[in-house]
Amino acid sequence: MKRILFFTCAFALAASVAFAGDVLKLGSMGPLTGPYAADGNDIKKGALTAIEVIKDDGGLPGFDDITLSPQDTACDPRQAVSAANKLINEEVRAVIGAYCSSATLPASEPLNEEDIIMLTPGSTNEKVTERGLPYMFRVCGRDDDQSKIAIRFMVDYLKGKTIYLVDDKTAYSQGLADNVEKGCPAAGIEVLGHDHVNQGDKDFSAVLTKVKAANPDVFYVSLQNSATGALLVIQARRMGIDAKFLAQDAVYHPQLMSIAKQAAEGMYLTFGYQDTSAPAYKKFLARYKPKYGDPGAYSAYAYDSAMSYLLAVKKAGTTDPEKVREALLSLDYEGASKRIRFKENGDSGSNYIIRVVKDGEFRNFWNPATGELY
Amino acid sequence: MEYFLQQLINGITLGGVYALIALGYTMVYGIIQLINFAHGEFFAAGGYMGVIFITWLAAQGVHPYVCMGLGLVLAMIYCALLAMAVEKLAYKPLRRASRLSVLLSALGMSIFLQNGLMLTQGVYDRPYPSELTQGGFEFGMITISYMQIVIVALTALLLVGLNLLVFRTRIGKAMRATAQDKTMSALVGINASRIISLTFAIGAGLAAAAGIMVGFYYGSVNYTMGFVPGIKAFAAAVLGGIGNITGAMIGGVIIGMVEIFAAGYLSSEYKDVFAFIILIAVLYFRPTGIMGENVDDTRV
Repeated sequence: MKRILFFTCAFALAASVAFAGDVLKLGSMGPLTGPYAADGNDIKKGALTAIEVIKDDGGLPGFDDITLSPQDTACDPRQAVSAANKLINEEVRAVIGAYCSSATLPASEPLNEEDIIMLTPGSTNEKVTERGLPYMFRVCGRDDDQSKIAIRFMVDYLKGKTIYLVDDKTAYSQGLADNVEKGCPAAGIEVLGHDHVNQGDKDFSAVLTKVKAANPDVFYVSLQNSATGALLVIQARRMGIDAKFLAQDAVYHPQLMSIAKQAAEGMYLTFGYQDTSAPAYKKFLARYKPKYGDPGAYSAYAYDSAMSYLLAVKKAGTTDPEKVREALLSLDYEGASKRIRFKENGDSGSNYIIRVVKDGEFRNFWNPATGELY
Repeated sequence: MEYFLQQLINGITLGGVYALIALGYTMVYGIIQLINFAHGEFFAAGGYMGVIFITWLAAQGVHPYVCMGLGLVLAMIYCALLAMAVEKLAYKPLRRASRLSVLLSALGMSIFLQNGLMLTQGVYDRPYPSELTQGGFEFGMITISYMQIVIVALTALLLVGLNLLVFRTRIGKAMRATAQDKTMSALVGINASRIISLTFAIGAGLAAAAGIMVGFYYGSVNYTMGFVPGIKAFAAAVLGGIGNITGAMIGGVIIGMVEIFAAGYLSSEYKDVFAFIILIAVLYFRPTGIMGENVDDTRV
């Protein structure tokens, strides 16, 4: 009797494993709550859109269904690691995320140990791909590239001689501001000051008074959160700071205009170039917009991250991580955000340009490759 | 010198906000010796209700500045009612329990209210109609925005009003009597439950006013915005001598100034640290706070 029971159980277990194999489980990580929730939700929506598009196109051979398990990191390193462990327990094959570099860095370690591929749509810190983790991929650009573009813009176009930097001490925002600060003297720009504010701060009057007293040509705003960026810009304008405002990709979000309104006009931002007239982008938008409204800053990157993985699985014909990794490295995919070709270290290259806020929307402004206006 | 004056103005504005929140802490502590950790959430709820009412009124075609004033009053009333409900639900049943139970109930309420705000209002920042509050005066290098003047003026006005209420009216007398001795005041015919409920309502109304002004001043509100100012206002209340209204006011302004000057002259990274260094120093050297010596006469 016992033996029969044992075999029945074993069979049931084997059967469930076999059936589970028919569902491709993906995970996503990002801040779904807290001050960065806007970007985290964009990542979730982008990944879901990729799954829907693949299903529309006939799905993946050998899989009945593709599911996404979205996890909240709150941009907190500890919560990110527990989210990663949760995804490991759920036996996902790949993870789209996370957003904050400070969350991606610790979370990627356990994922890599379990041979789970991680594709980040938003973590730009250099260290993400420079630790030699074989299953770590990045779809967005890198901070060192972004800071170079920022400096080139200040020198070539703004003709700025002095700069004041403010960051909010995250691995990403401070790393980027430090890179800009380091690069400035060689470019002939004098650094008048570099201040740090706290995450979640709302009152910047003290720091802004310092900036006003220093009177820089360029005010470099490196904050992790677009809403905070909006608050800073409103207060800076009210205080009468007439420097050129240069911000970066985390400040880039439609939220910036909805909060700062008139105050955001004329602000420059470094962000990846997006060809919104490309068929790949239109395909993404057609599926995304009716369901979730206008895409956020990282929606297209998240879509491309999930898409890259799904296409690689299709190409490899298996979810075996080593084979999918090879497929990813040989992938040449025209994505919604850019053309994606991964390098050996997992990077996909940067394509930063300068954008400007004009009439309440982001416009392409300056092309660093040619030094010309769009 | 100009730099100093500008930072002074920034400090007074921020101090005014902390002072308004601190009043609620100090009044509730004065009357039932409870540190109401959910108080910061009334501030956040006030900010949200303000923008909700103002947008709604504007949609009815009301003049923008009337919207602002009416929105302020409506949000204050809403938060006062919310605070009375919270008091009934989370604190009144525990009136005879140990202080620790009530404190834990307050912490639980804070988390509950914050998450309630997140679930009903969403995780995104809610923008304020900032075009109404642009502009200000300029004196050479110094700028004073209209909003800074409004914050300081409204804070002063509410403080005077509160002082009149507490020291010049029958209700105020009843509040002071209840604070001194609940049993005795009940014996002479004061309804202690109603007075306690009223104290919560007034404190939350003031916090709501602070929330709206912060919304206008900074441009947006967020569901997490209550926590840090709540803790700082608590530090302000302790600094001024918890239970004392004027003390809370002075404490709030001091905490605001210290924060701004620490950020302006030392480093903005450590500005939050200084508020708490003060808190620790006060507890260590003068546990009763600045206005502590006459706490029995004037506490609410």
